[in-house]
Amino acid sequence: MDKPCFRALCCKGPPPPRPEYDVVCIGLTGAGKSSLLSRLCSESSDDIGPTTGFNIKAVPFPNAILNVKELGGADNIKKYWCRYYQGSQGVIFVLDSASSNEDLEVARNELHSALQHPQLCTLPFLILANHQDNRAARTPNQIKKYFELEPLARGKRWILEGSSTDNLVAVKESFAQFINLLEDKDTEPARI
Amino acid sequence: MLKKLKSRRSQTEKWPVVTEDELRALGKEISPDHVLGLRAVTKDYLCRLEDNIYNIDFTRFKIRDLDTGTVLFEIAKPPNSGSVVNEKDSMDLDVAAGRFVRYQFTPAFLKLRTVGATVEFTVGDRPINSFRMIERHYFQGRLLKNFDFDFGFCIPNSRNTCEHIYEFPQLPDDLIRQMVAHPYETRSDSFYFVDNKLIMHNKADYAYNGGL
Repeated sequence: MDKPCFRALCCKGPPPPRPEYDVVCIGLTGAGKSSLLSRLCSESSDDIGPTTGFNIKAVPFPNAILNVKELGGADNIKKYWCRYYQGSQGVIFVLDSASSNEDLEVARNELHSALQHPQLCTLPFLILANHQDNRAARTPNQIKKYFELEPLARGKRWILEGSSTDNLVAVKESFAQFINLLEDKDTEPARI
Repeated sequence: MLKKLKSRRSQTEKWPVVTEDELRALGKEISPDHVLGLRAVTKDYLCRLEDNIYNIDFTRFKIRDLDTGTVLFEIAKPPNSGSVVNEKDSMDLDVAAGRFVRYQFTPAFLKLRTVGATVEFTVGDRPINSFRMIERHYFQGRLLKNFDFDFGFCIPNSRNTCEHIYEFPQLPDDLIRQMVAHPYETRSDSFYFVDNKLIMHNKADYAYNGGL
C-alpha cells in the first residue's frame, strides 16, 4: 500500500487543527439528509435506506469540521428530535422541494417549531431545499415564500439554498456560508 | 459543549491504577471511572451476556481512510444462520455471541494517520437515557490508546451509526515492528455503559502481519 499521499502527508507534518462545530440535522423522511451527508463525506449514497435512529458523522470542510448528528425523519423518530438539541451550535434542516403540498406543510410546521424551540432559537440555521434536480421541485424562492421565513425568522441567522446530490459544489458552497454563520456566533454575536 | 465527536482525551495515564481482580472484588456495578484505571486488557469479561438488558446489538463496523474516502475494512454481522459452533471452544462461543472479534491487517495499517471508524448498532424496546463507550487498546502490557465516546440518548427500536475520527497514535518504529512481529498481542477491551453502569464488554485482538 505505497500511496504517494501518505508520503506527502508525512513530509508536511500534521495540518493545524480546524475548529469543530456540533450541529443537528433534521427534516422529514425522504428529504435526503443521509444521502447529502454521505456524499459530503465522499461516500456513495446508493445503498442508503431510511434512518431509524441517528447517524453521527464528522463532515470535513476546508476551514472547519462539522460534527453532525443526523436524525431520522419518520413520525416515530421525529418525536425524539428534541432529545438531541442540547449542545448543538447550529441546525441543518433539509426538505424535499418536490414533495406533496401536505408534506410541504408538515415540513413547514417542523421548521417553525425548530426555529422557536428554546434550545435552537438562537442558533444559525442552514435550510436546504433539496431535490432541486427533480422537475417537480419548487424553487428556493417559492419555498422561502411559502415557509414565511422572511417574517417569521426575522432577526435569526439563517440561509436557505436549493440543493441536490448531483451538484455537490453548490452544496459545499452553502455549507461554507453556514460555517461563516457558525464562526460569527463563535466570536461576539453581531446581529444580522 | 457537552458532547464531542472526537474521543475525550481522558488523560487516563493519571487515573489511579486499578486491577481486574479489584474490580471483581467490588461486588457492585462497574462504572466508567472504574475501567479508566485499568492498565491491562482483562483476562475475562467483566459482565455477562445477560447484563445487556437493553438488547444493544452491534451490527456493522467499518474503517475508512479519511484522506481518500477508501473503505479499508468492513465487517457486518451475518444474520443468524444457526451455524455450528464447537461448544468446547470458548473463543468460538464468544465470537458466536458477538463479543469477540479477531482482526488481521497488513503492516501498512499502522502507518495510517487518520481514519473514520463507523460503528452501527441497534437498540431494543427500551429507550436508553445515556449510552457511553470506553475502548482501550493495548500492546502486550502497554496502553496504546483510550477512547471515550458518549452517544447520549438512544431511541427505542432504532438503528444508529456513529463515525468517529480515529487519529492513530504516532507509534515509534520499533514498537510498530514489534506489533507486526507479535500477531494478536495487540488487544482491546470495549466497555459499554448505560446510565454509567456496565452492560456490555467486547474484546478484540489484532494482527498486522497480513500478506507477509
